Amino acid sequence: MNLERMPNEEKLSLCRRYYLGGFAFLPFLWLVNVLWFFKEAFLKPAYTEQQQIKSYIKKSAMGLIVWVAVLTTWITIFQHFRARWGEVGDYLSFTIPLGTS
Amino acid sequence: MNTSDSEEDSYNERSALVQCESPTIPSYNQDHDVSLPQQTDTKRRRPVSSGLDEPGPVERERASTPDGEEEELTLKYGAKHVIMLFIPVTLCMVVVVATIKSVSFYTEKSSQRLIYTPFEEDPNSVGQRLLNSFLNTIVMISVIVFMTIILVVLYKYRCYKVIHGWLILSSLMLLFWFSFMYLGEVFKTYNVAMDYPTLVMIIWNFGVVGMICIHWKGPLRLQQAYLIVISALMALIFIKYLPEWSAWVILGAISIYDLIAVLCPKGPLRMLVETAQERNEPIFPALIYSSAMVWMVGMADSSNPGSADGRLRNEGGARAQEEEESEDDVAHGGRRRYSAEEDLEEDRGVKLGLGDFIFYSVLVGKAAATGGDWNTTLACFVAILIGLCLTLLLLAIFKKALPALPISITFGLVFYFSTDNLVRPFMDSLASHQYYI
Repeated sequence: MNLERMPNEEKLSLCRRYYLGGFAFLPFLWLVNVLWFFKEAFLKPAYTEQQQIKSYIKKSAMGLIVWVAVLTTWITIFQHFRARWGEVGDYLSFTIPLGTS
Repeated sequence: MNTSDSEEDSYNERSALVQCESPTIPSYNQDHDVSLPQQTDTKRRRPVSSGLDEPGPVERERASTPDGEEEELTLKYGAKHVIMLFIPVTLCMVVVVATIKSVSFYTEKSSQRLIYTPFEEDPNSVGQRLLNSFLNTIVMISVIVFMTIILVVLYKYRCYKVIHGWLILSSLMLLFWFSFMYLGEVFKTYNVAMDYPTLVMIIWNFGVVGMICIHWKGPLRLQQAYLIVISALMALIFIKYLPEWSAWVILGAISIYDLIAVLCPKGPLRMLVETAQERNEPIFPALIYSSAMVWMVGMADSSNPGSADGRLRNEGGARAQEEEESEDDVAHGGRRRYSAEEDLEEDRGVKLGLGDFIFYSVLVGKAAATGGDWNTTLACFVAILIGLCLTLLLLAIFKKALPALPISITFGLVFYFSTDNLVRPFMDSLASHQYYI
């Protein structure tokens, strides 16, 4: 996919679809959206759809930050308290490290 | 574990090195460079995954320019496209070798076997073992041939929905199930605690974005990365589940099959490529790795010099340089049009089937797993790259689809066995006698 070669309406529609898709628990999709369309939205001379693309990028970036914060918090809590949670900790664990208490 | 047939098929399609043919009229179709994800063999017969079986023909863009320029273009394409293919092939092999060396799961012999290799290899009797590996090979190759023929028949009779459904199912399996297994093993190796919610998020994101990139639209680099990853995953599965000697014999047999399938007039792969070219359609997404950007329809009609130049400037640096060089060679009159066409043609680049990636990685991975020595692994790696170079050179000369497996695999096998049996004992005894050369 070469963004250079797409007409602006298609770019907007693609950006919008990526943005909407990210709501299905897909922060990675938002990340791809931000990285892919960043140049389009901010570093190119203005064209009609650019304003909307910018807004989608900004919203994707915000959603991404929220998800990163949530995941980081959860992972920190889990790694720290896993051993103390006993049975619940084991139930939640996919792999349990050997040799630790 | 049962193996899936679909993988077999995809293997077939995948191992083709295809050159994009450019029609002489400036109405190009969009080429998909999607490659099929390798299918996992666990669930069903392999869905079409990496085109292992079929070493794809090497296709190259043919410039519709006068002969002199065509030859220059050929040479220019050669060097640049060789590099563009070296990088993904190297990356795939690096991933496979790194995993083999660190995660022991993929080198542990399991009692489970693929249903494609039903004969057990008995380590005690050499003759029996050899016989069984040949029988395994026959079974595997016949399954692959059968699958390829079904695929070609489906394609000829335009049963696109069936093929797409098959490809999607196999990509799903590869992207979700195999990567789940892989992640599990990596976490166990590094003794990291991982909880289900985070894991589900990771696999879900990885899989869905992968499906989007491969089967729909996504950034080119990400798509290439996903294709490399699924090729590596598939190669790892092969390394784990193919018995020792059978793997080597299968590699050899697949190269021969590739040669036949692509070059013989009635070969299934050749028919597939020709039918696709007749219909001016891209060969299935998710089967082929393309090294260049996909060209979008709609650029062909902008024939005015202004927009052509504008397009040229927007291109990536490497391509723009090439165009500048080519502009020096072309006569003034046709310069802009030529550049525009070259532009479009260059976009398609060289395509390599995923099966080729998989089989190259299987060879190097097996060398790393069983050879145990970095000399052997590096020798195989170099051999495969040399083979790929030669294949691309032949592509430059013949300008039609060529099998990518035979030369590389032959070199790889020769280097592996000679390094293992000749160079290694030599280096070992040199080292033990403290004699440095």
